[in-house]
Amino acid sequence: MTRNWFQSTNARIAGAFAMALLLQIVGTLLIPGYSAPFAIRALLVIASLLAVASIGQTLVVILGGIDLSIPFVIGFANVVAAQLYGQGWNFALVCILVGILAIAIGALNGLIARGLNIHPLIVTLGIGMIVQGAVLLWTGGFPSGSAPEAVSSFVSIGGSVGPLPVPLLVPCLVVLTALIVLVLARTPYGRRLYAVGSNPEAAPLALIDPLLMWVVTYAASAFFAAVAGVLLLGFTGSAYGDVGQPYLFQTIAAVVVGGAALVGGRGSYLGTIAGVLVLTEINTLLIGLGFRPSTVQAALGLVILLLVSLYGRERHVRTTI
Amino acid sequence: MSPIFRKLSGVGFAVVMLVVLLVLNIALNPARFQPSGWGTLLGLAAPLIGAAIASAPVILAGRGGIDISVGPLMGFVNALVIQVLFLNLGISSPWIIVPAALLVGAAVGAANGVLATIVRIQPIVATLGTYLILTGITLTILPAPIGPAPDWLKAMSGPLSVLPLALIGLCWLLICRTPYHDLLMAVGSDDRAAYTAGVPVTKVRLTAYVLTGLFAAAAGLMLTSLIGSADPNIGATYTLIAIAAVALGGVSLAGGRGGLGGAAIGAIDIFLLQSLLTTFNVSTYVLQIAYGLILVVAVVLTALQERFSTRKGRP
Repeated sequence: MTRNWFQSTNARIAGAFAMALLLQIVGTLLIPGYSAPFAIRALLVIASLLAVASIGQTLVVILGGIDLSIPFVIGFANVVAAQLYGQGWNFALVCILVGILAIAIGALNGLIARGLNIHPLIVTLGIGMIVQGAVLLWTGGFPSGSAPEAVSSFVSIGGSVGPLPVPLLVPCLVVLTALIVLVLARTPYGRRLYAVGSNPEAAPLALIDPLLMWVVTYAASAFFAAVAGVLLLGFTGSAYGDVGQPYLFQTIAAVVVGGAALVGGRGSYLGTIAGVLVLTEINTLLIGLGFRPSTVQAALGLVILLLVSLYGRERHVRTTI
Repeated sequence: MSPIFRKLSGVGFAVVMLVVLLVLNIALNPARFQPSGWGTLLGLAAPLIGAAIASAPVILAGRGGIDISVGPLMGFVNALVIQVLFLNLGISSPWIIVPAALLVGAAVGAANGVLATIVRIQPIVATLGTYLILTGITLTILPAPIGPAPDWLKAMSGPLSVLPLALIGLCWLLICRTPYHDLLMAVGSDDRAAYTAGVPVTKVRLTAYVLTGLFAAAAGLMLTSLIGSADPNIGATYTLIAIAAVALGGVSLAGGRGGLGGAAIGAIDIFLLQSLLTTFNVSTYVLQIAYGLILVVAVVLTALQERFSTRKGRP
């Protein structure tokens, strides 16, 4: 019984949360001011942005796919929103337009990858490159415009919500997390997602349309990437086409550190949140200890390997027969 | 169906694309594609061909096998050869540099292999870890581009770059004559069936990672001879393009189908595509759209052709 629990997804999630807590304690002991209110606020905001960008990757990985177009869609939303807002558009209208375009991009990803059975790695990479090229062509490589005040204060590190000393983004993310966990556990969509991910051949026999699931899930992935792009616009204040690039591997790492299997059918958004916290903690801790960015990167790689080898191991082929 | 024909039909689309692109390139840009210039062109394409060949063995080994650290490993070898061996230690002899580079590549490949097959971390995550580590180390030993390269290495950049490619090809042909090739394909197509049949699945996969590391180091040397210097940022850019080339060359990303020849043809396709798009003198932005578009269209057509041929093959 105990042994089973240690191998379960819940154990992986608990392990990742424990690791984040441990890193926070280590940071507090080593660096003065690591647990100061401002430092924690900054950490929560940065983690929340990564968490939003990782929603789609989580869903897609549970489905058994992978989405490399996330950084390109983030950049696309970031630049297009700033550009249109700068041209005097209503920002609500801008958001709707960006959202619809992102959903179309994602749906196309899912349609090609599943409909023609091409590995999503290649499809999302190709589509992502087209999206990036189109954005560059439209802006001539020099995006302009800025974020409306509302978005900036929504993600501002100094912001607060009533008595809470955090910007609105953080409580919103908590609510969103609860919603996603609920959708995954308690709705037909969530159950179908896990069903297609665990056994793509059996799912159609249970009257699940895999193609529809892929289209919807990739559309959702691109939509949340676009949301992250708009939020990043508020965070940095100006548009930048490559703003999403660090999120390419970070979303994958967060999902995997959170206990998801890239072969599909396993994973949860709560785990991803834990993974996001671990990654943000490691990054903050290493930079706080005064390492150079290149060293931080190398150490991050080492830590990901260590963590995943602790609790993210795959089964041996002999146990899969 | 003869075995040769069967092999060709797997990469059929890539070959058709190769011929079409070559004809278009020669027609539109005769100055660059005149026969005497082919050696230079091969030299320009060599690192990408090498990267694609290097990415293939682990993908053939199946079950999500992939090595995204190929590009950073090329960059690491590049930095190591120029900065550490040539400039710091003053070693310029090919008899030390080449074995040292290959040894480093094999060691990194073995580390990837241990992580992916014995520690059993999902390959994309295991190699993501090494990707980050290698990029970090490369930037630490080489913060900014530096030169030059030893003379013999620079001399390998033109027509002579056929030499390392031919050696890799010969190496693969020899591997195809050994039982290892069949074991690799068996593991890649169905590792559970292979395991039940007594194939040492872990060992076969681990060897595939070592081969990938070895070939990636060779690609790193080709990169070094092409740029004639060391650049810490150039290596990582090869990773995704190399995987795209492998897919274009008819190697199934699910494993067990395809070969290194297909990967090389896929890489040449991508190189010819880049060079064709450059001759149109359009902005780099249009270039990128066209590039992504053709990549998607090419894999879609490959998939359609495959679907068509398997339907035809059914009784």
